[in-house]
Amino acid sequence: MAWVNAVIQGVLTGGLYALFACGLSLLFGVMKVVNLAHGDLAVIAGYVAIGIITATHMPVLWSVVVVVPVMAVLGYVLQRTVIQSSLNRGVLTTLIVTLGLSMVIENGLLQFFSADTRGIGAGMSLVTSSFSLGSQIQIAWLLVVIFAVAVVVLLGLQYFLSGSSYGRLIRAVADDQEAAQLSGADYRHVFGIAAALALGTVALGGIAYGMYSDLDPTTGTDTILLFAFVAVVIGGLGSLWGTLLGGIVLGVAQQIGAQINISDELLAGYLVFLAVLVLRPQGLTSRRAQT
Amino acid sequence: MTSLLELEHVTKRFGRVVIAEDLSFAVGAGDVVGIVGPNGAGKTSLFGLISGDLAPDAGQVRFAGRNVTRLDPADRCRLGVGRTYQVPRPFADMTVFENLLVAAQQGAGLRRRASYAAAVAALERTGMSSQGNVPAERLGLLQRKRLELARALATQPTLLLLDEVAGGLTDPEVAQLVEIVRGVNADGIAVIWIEHVVRALTAVVSRLICLAGGTFVGDGEPTAVLAEPAVREVFLGTDVTAALAGGTLETTSAADAEREPS
Repeated sequence: MAWVNAVIQGVLTGGLYALFACGLSLLFGVMKVVNLAHGDLAVIAGYVAIGIITATHMPVLWSVVVVVPVMAVLGYVLQRTVIQSSLNRGVLTTLIVTLGLSMVIENGLLQFFSADTRGIGAGMSLVTSSFSLGSQIQIAWLLVVIFAVAVVVLLGLQYFLSGSSYGRLIRAVADDQEAAQLSGADYRHVFGIAAALALGTVALGGIAYGMYSDLDPTTGTDTILLFAFVAVVIGGLGSLWGTLLGGIVLGVAQQIGAQINISDELLAGYLVFLAVLVLRPQGLTSRRAQT
Repeated sequence: MTSLLELEHVTKRFGRVVIAEDLSFAVGAGDVVGIVGPNGAGKTSLFGLISGDLAPDAGQVRFAGRNVTRLDPADRCRLGVGRTYQVPRPFADMTVFENLLVAAQQGAGLRRRASYAAAVAALERTGMSSQGNVPAERLGLLQRKRLELARALATQPTLLLLDEVAGGLTDPEVAQLVEIVRGVNADGIAVIWIEHVVRALTAVVSRLICLAGGTFVGDGEPTAVLAEPAVREVFLGTDVTAALAGGTLETTSAADAEREPS
């Protein structure tokens, strides 16, 4: 029964990891940019939510309605300023610039908010309540809700990309930037929209993690970015549903590892990651190897 | 008549390779101009200078009375410059119709119904009506070339740049293509057409330019240009009269272009 429990918990945690990963995957798919500040931006979103909740006593879930658009706007602005100008100088520059951005954010947060951990919605019934399956399995409502949010976000992104004219435009630019320009598309604006979408999802990931666990200034790089990266690679670069599959595989591996020995939780996740890199480097969902 | 497109003393070099050397020429609204020249003559690069893919080292590009030298390809497209690539570059994971929708919405700035109508019109014009829902990656070369043309048309251009759209096509297919270009021109769209298949050009164009080494070695009425000694010299070893009768000036290079992986 303990193993069944581990699998169930792992699958549900996969939803959280998919929330971390889908924005990273989207940006990579459209711009071929690996945003190393991805996790730190999630932490910023969490801190903004904490700030808003503390200042206005707004209900936790309402803060999402404020934070997601704020982060989306920040994403557009960041893209059109910092990232776009580094894109013009080559892929390596974007890696260095986003790494720099990550350091600035992390140290800025340390400077202004100290290294204390902070949670979101502690004591809230959504965060604390759970239900039982049988006698041995306890499932937290929060994880179920986060999983559902991840599925809704992925469905929404898929619908947006395949059905809307902006989505079509994003796919066109992702496919062939020059040809898209010759068809009149301003790719910089399109990149901005993709970044806004990505940061919207990152905001959800940051708030969800703040409720699931605690946030501190280093959570962004040592947890969120890392897990997002692993989920994206396991699932397949640039694939949206692959991030959910990758997240679930990572989550299940971690839970099974923890079941064997509590200190093996992270190790098990990375072993699976390595196995995928060796056996199927294009990821589980990709049909052909990525270049 | 005022000119639609004007190049004024345009120069472009890549290191020691001269792409355009002090080129000046004008194309009026509704003109159909053919461009021939050996491989490496700078024909496609000339299109790059007009469409904005390349920035000139010196000189000015004017379109519809505006200096567009510093505008990027997207801006020039929205002003009315449509272009096809020699090797078609469709958005592969979209259907043919979606390809055209992107062009109609971005290039022509159309919304909803108007963009759908423009996409349908481009499909009909290029004889692709039955292929609207086919994923672009499944198209063969002929259809990809047509899609390239259709996508340029969907941006509602006033100037259409065609880069070797007839290469690799059979005679009946070339004849169809010539009809399509005639129809496009009949709507008042100016056309500049780079082509190795000279018989396709001479069937439509009223003016022929021969480009070699970044300069014009001939410019004028097609048969007169092809008869000029300088032009014959550029195509040393090819019988221009035979080319006119049905061959191509540079059969090998035209075939090379087709062999590139798509």
